[in-house]
Amino acid sequence: MKNLIIITGFIILITGCSKQLEVNPLQSVDESFVFKTDANIKAALNGAYDVLSGGYLLGGDMQLYSELLGANDEITWAGTYQQPREIYQKAILTNNSYVRDTYLQGYRAINICNNIITNIENVNDADRDAVKGQALFIRGLIYFELAELYALPYSAGNVATNMGLQIVTTPTVNGEVTDMNKVPRSSVKETYDQVIADLIAAKPLIQGEVGVLGSEFSVSAVLSRVYLQMANYAGARDEANLVIANSGASLESNYAGAFNNMAPSSEDIFVLPVTAQDGTNDLWLFFSIKAYGARSGDVRIKQKHIDLYNLGDERLALFYVGNGFYRSGKWQLQYRYLPIIRLAEMYLTRAESNFRLGTSVGATPAQDLNKITQRAGLSPVPATLANILYQRRLELADEGQRIQDAKRLMQSTDGFAFDANELVFPIPLREVNAGAGVLKQNPGY
Amino acid sequence: MRKILFFLLLIFLLPGISAVAQKTISGKISDAKTEEAIPNASIIVKGTNLGTSSNENGSFSIKVPDGRSVLVVTSLGYQNKEVTVNGEVADIALSASETKNLDEVVVVGFGTKIKKDLTGNIAKVKGSDVRYMPVTNLDQALQGRAAGVFVEANNGKVGDGVKVLIRGSGSISASNSPLYVIDGVPISTNSYSGGPISDINFNDVESFDILKDASAAAIYGSRAANGVVLITTKKGKSGKTSFQVNTTYGANRPTHLRGFLNAKEYVDLLREAAINSDNIDGVDPTDPAQYPDSWLEYAEGSLTDYSGWSDWRKLETNTNWEKKAFNYDAKTAGIDVSASGGTDKTKFYISLGYVNQDGILIGNRLKRYSSRINLDQYVSDKFRIGLNLSLTQTQTGRVQVDNEFSTPMQIVALSPVTPFRDLDGNLYNEPTTTYSNPYVDYADGKYNAIIYRNIGNVYGQYNFNSSLFFRTEFGVDIQNQNDDQFYGATTTYGSGTNGYGESDWFRSITYNTNNYFNFKKTLNEVHDIDAVLGMSFQNYNSAYANVFGEQFPTQQLQRLASAGLIKGGTSTETNSAFLSYFARANYKFDDKYLLSVSGRVDGSSVFGNDRRYGFFPAVSAGWILSQEKFLANSDVLSFLKLRGSWGLTGNADGFGDFASRGLWDGASYNGTGGLIPTQLANPDLRWEKSNQVDIGLDFGFLRNRISGEIDVYNRKTNDLIYNVPVPGNTGYATKTVNIGSMENRGLEIVLNTDNVIVKNFRWSTNLNLAFNKNKLTRLDGDQTLLAGNDGRYLNSLIVGESIGIFYGPKFAGVDPENGDGLYYKEDGKSTTNDYNEAGNFVVGNPNPKLIGGFNNTFNYKGFEVSVLFQGVFGNQIMNGAGGFMSASFDAFDNQTKDQLKRWQKKGDVTNVPQLRLGGGNGISASSRYIEDGDYVRLKNATIAYNLPGSLISRLKLTSLRVYVTGVNLLTFTNYGGWDPEVNTDYRAGNRNQGSDFYAAPQIRNISAGLNIGF
Repeated sequence: MKNLIIITGFIILITGCSKQLEVNPLQSVDESFVFKTDANIKAALNGAYDVLSGGYLLGGDMQLYSELLGANDEITWAGTYQQPREIYQKAILTNNSYVRDTYLQGYRAINICNNIITNIENVNDADRDAVKGQALFIRGLIYFELAELYALPYSAGNVATNMGLQIVTTPTVNGEVTDMNKVPRSSVKETYDQVIADLIAAKPLIQGEVGVLGSEFSVSAVLSRVYLQMANYAGARDEANLVIANSGASLESNYAGAFNNMAPSSEDIFVLPVTAQDGTNDLWLFFSIKAYGARSGDVRIKQKHIDLYNLGDERLALFYVGNGFYRSGKWQLQYRYLPIIRLAEMYLTRAESNFRLGTSVGATPAQDLNKITQRAGLSPVPATLANILYQRRLELADEGQRIQDAKRLMQSTDGFAFDANELVFPIPLREVNAGAGVLKQNPGY
Repeated sequence: MRKILFFLLLIFLLPGISAVAQKTISGKISDAKTEEAIPNASIIVKGTNLGTSSNENGSFSIKVPDGRSVLVVTSLGYQNKEVTVNGEVADIALSASETKNLDEVVVVGFGTKIKKDLTGNIAKVKGSDVRYMPVTNLDQALQGRAAGVFVEANNGKVGDGVKVLIRGSGSISASNSPLYVIDGVPISTNSYSGGPISDINFNDVESFDILKDASAAAIYGSRAANGVVLITTKKGKSGKTSFQVNTTYGANRPTHLRGFLNAKEYVDLLREAAINSDNIDGVDPTDPAQYPDSWLEYAEGSLTDYSGWSDWRKLETNTNWEKKAFNYDAKTAGIDVSASGGTDKTKFYISLGYVNQDGILIGNRLKRYSSRINLDQYVSDKFRIGLNLSLTQTQTGRVQVDNEFSTPMQIVALSPVTPFRDLDGNLYNEPTTTYSNPYVDYADGKYNAIIYRNIGNVYGQYNFNSSLFFRTEFGVDIQNQNDDQFYGATTTYGSGTNGYGESDWFRSITYNTNNYFNFKKTLNEVHDIDAVLGMSFQNYNSAYANVFGEQFPTQQLQRLASAGLIKGGTSTETNSAFLSYFARANYKFDDKYLLSVSGRVDGSSVFGNDRRYGFFPAVSAGWILSQEKFLANSDVLSFLKLRGSWGLTGNADGFGDFASRGLWDGASYNGTGGLIPTQLANPDLRWEKSNQVDIGLDFGFLRNRISGEIDVYNRKTNDLIYNVPVPGNTGYATKTVNIGSMENRGLEIVLNTDNVIVKNFRWSTNLNLAFNKNKLTRLDGDQTLLAGNDGRYLNSLIVGESIGIFYGPKFAGVDPENGDGLYYKEDGKSTTNDYNEAGNFVVGNPNPKLIGGFNNTFNYKGFEVSVLFQGVFGNQIMNGAGGFMSASFDAFDNQTKDQLKRWQKKGDVTNVPQLRLGGGNGISASSRYIEDGDYVRLKNATIAYNLPGSLISRLKLTSLRVYVTGVNLLTFTNYGGWDPEVNTDYRAGNRNQGSDFYAAPQIRNISAGLNIGF
């Protein structure tokens, strides 16, 4: 009898346990589950914004790269991290981990957008267009930002032959690396065409106000940047004009009011939220100092830059001295929203474009320029191209537009010509290695 | 029920009943030749279950019922002896066994075996060999003691990780650690921080049996690809309760200091570096007109900043920051108390342990309280139940991983011109110190971890008859950990936020059950059969939660309740499970021919439905040649056995619980939840399988005074799991796939000799050597190279080379013309100063070619000396911090002394490039920062004295032993870093080996101890 009990018990044990192997993750969901429902796809869209606002993308590093590449001896990278230093010195190694991770994160967001766009039919009718518009906006924006870093500038010419990016518009599903992922790099022109196509497609679909999500006006603002790079001044002017005229944004009365805010400012066209619980602020991390919880003040502003300002310029007053060097006051505090596109830039773009085209769409160049100088506490300056560009440089200092402007204006920086290979990131070594021989390295690497 | 009551009654009454009709025999057991006392000899009254064992001093005392007078005395390594005792005193001398170690009982999975009959390879380390060794982690105690078992502590942090590799690395991404099984419970090696093996008090351990080849390990199937360490804790023996008390006390020091520039050298070289950089820019900074904005101005300005109140021009300060990283008062203290004993029905072992070891680093310490109770009860002749249970509390003062600014060792980067304190007595910090000062983090911060660990099982065993039993075991391993961190407003983490606090909670629960039948029978006196059939199930669960915050109102309030701003928190949980069925049959014919066959089916929740189950068979055979007629009469050869085994084992650990799935995780943007992709799917993901062949020879000569083992093996792992890089444009960086194969071939030699055995003196030697060659034989077929140059390290995967081989630029020395650091181009001959133009070469191998241990023990009367040397040969180490600390003053980090040999003028021939501030001259990851890592170390030496019996009995004790012992006493190496036993903790892994990055040197300890038995 006892023997029987033991043997029966053993058999129960043997047969009863196999179900115990059905274990599911508790912090993750299967991909198949994500794109089935309206709510999940909207969550994925929010995920795309989360990636976009991450440190390696617009959470600060992309802006930092622009300023370091375009340092022009006006700022110094004094930090210990070698990767930003390589960028600052224009001697970037192909294994630079920042270069690698920015690339990866960019395509990560693009893949989310590709998934959303492909499965857009599963979004409720009412919101379908808006969601699709948002996804197209993010995809276009990232392709543009990546092209600015990883490809020769539009101004370098040969846009039909210079290499742009690998354009991937299909989602990655079921773990499959498809032929789409092994396409050769498009030309610079094709890359810009993709950016413009996405943004133009997004514009009529996207909804909402200016702020932390894409809107019709953030699409236009990005388009104005794209056209400016292409020296399409009419396009840049019209998009900027649209933003100024219709977005409802207005300049903050004080220049300092545009920064270090705990909510979008009145002049933010597109802004990334940073709070104690959410968001990343790498600009604070690298520009600010220990006293504000950052590192040791990796980026120093040099006297050469300070000398560009007139006394009494409010923009000059925003700099502060910390650890013995000038620091940008724009990125002083950590949990503060990061402006990506401000209305002030739109005024400057419209002024420049109108000036170049000899038009006065929306306002005269002098009127637009006045808006900027007046707010900075300066008396009006003549609306010459040089003055417009000079004010643009001061107004947008340390905001991640420097190298783009230098390149399109064909200005050399730190002894490198605007179209120098050194001012372009290498394709990350890991991508070349994983690229099945198709992904070509940039010239000069 | 009535029966049980009766038995319970019997247990309580037993001492009373026994007192009625019996006499007490006492005496001493000793070696017939050397006259040394023999401890732990078993003394049984023939024809009864009554027995006892001799104590440390060889003495015993046993109550013998009337009518009985024959004692059977057995002890490992001695011939059994039956003695008829008429009086009440019996001193018994035993003759050495001719088969010696071969009679040793070896623990195999789900059973035991006599060593002589083994067909697989199992290394046994006796608990008594490592007992009371002043280390906190049992892996470190095993270092150098078993052939083919490579033990390497990441660094000298107490309570931190230790790598154990049995017969080389078997995997790239899955776990390379052996499975640890304590009294039948496979324990969890999960932890939130620190090494979970540190929670085990190895002073309670009777034996470590390390299953190395596949046939020995295959009974653990999918868990056994990296070998199995079976840990058996001490059990009670019937007889008088014996107590052991041990106390130790000692001091800890770093094994070695690296040495950095002093203030004068720092100032001179930094200025030189600045001037060089100016000259390259065409500036002469010594010309006052050109001085402004020069590198020299920058350097001298920085020197002024760094020297605080003092004047660097007068060299008023010369701080040795390296020494500030260490605690020169570090102590070790330990107390262990145990009691064991029992009756013929009940046996127990109870212990309490306490160890308190200060790490050598400031802020690093470990304190462990442990207790154990092992209980075994015969309920009836057929039914036996028992319990093995340990409870441990481990408190650690932790320090950050090696790549954090706040880890103590990074203090070496600070400038020697910086005073330790300002004139008010406060510690200097940035910007006066070059980087944030880790001493501030120590002084104004804390990181305390407290872990409660409960490992135990209950079992029942039913004997159907003398040849068949059924055993069921239910075991748990519960870990509960709390990490409490606080960093004040002056620290790296707390600055700018008025302090930072974090509380982490981690819980890991694994439970398992083993249920098996064992059949054992001898037929016709020549056929020995021993078979096992059973199943086991194991479930792992771990959960984690944390909360962290800032803005503490005052530095006295360090709990998160006082945080002005709660920044965030999380909680996570994960599960996995294994289900297994196993069978094994051993057959022995005529004590000569051995055969063993086993099989195990394993299911793991880690894999997808179609790939869930794996089958892991093994066979092995042995031939004891010395039993054959043609060898039986040899005077020289006393034992010879040839054995061979083949087996398949699996690996499903270490790459996440859900690696086959395409996953999206929660995220947040603008305070709203989101979903982001985190893992690329691979539904085809399957078991890693390890195929091992082992051929071995066990031998004994001259009555086994010389004995040993020689094994050759070939372990091939197929279907290696690896995160293969995929094009980033997929949105992912890697995909987890079964890509490749790896091979470990090796030779192991074990040699035990009794060099001298004469009256009162014995000298024995144990030598173990293990050669291993690891080779990656296949990646995914398309790729033969996954280059690993990440800017600091070069650990790569290359087909035909060992795992983690250093592959990257080869440093070509310094251009005598201009002081540029040079690298070889792809052709291997021409050189370049442009790192991007440098070719890539295999420039080093972090895998040792040979490891070994050499132990000598001497016994003279009551004195015992044991000396263990341990060595590692043929590996290289890469200093990932070379680009900071040996970098020609690229930045302001203090530099290693070798930088004094820098290139200074045209024609200088040196390996240290010209100093250039901000010049990045030759400082990228290359062979420049690779050195040989061979070392031989006096791992452990002990001198002990056992007081003679006469004295002890007067003290009413059974033994008294005083000893001095030490760990890592001497190190012989050419490695220029802190310590050649290193693998920096922040990146330690299968592929990432042999890397140094401000890793603390190992701990050198000298302790004195006292051990009393009564």
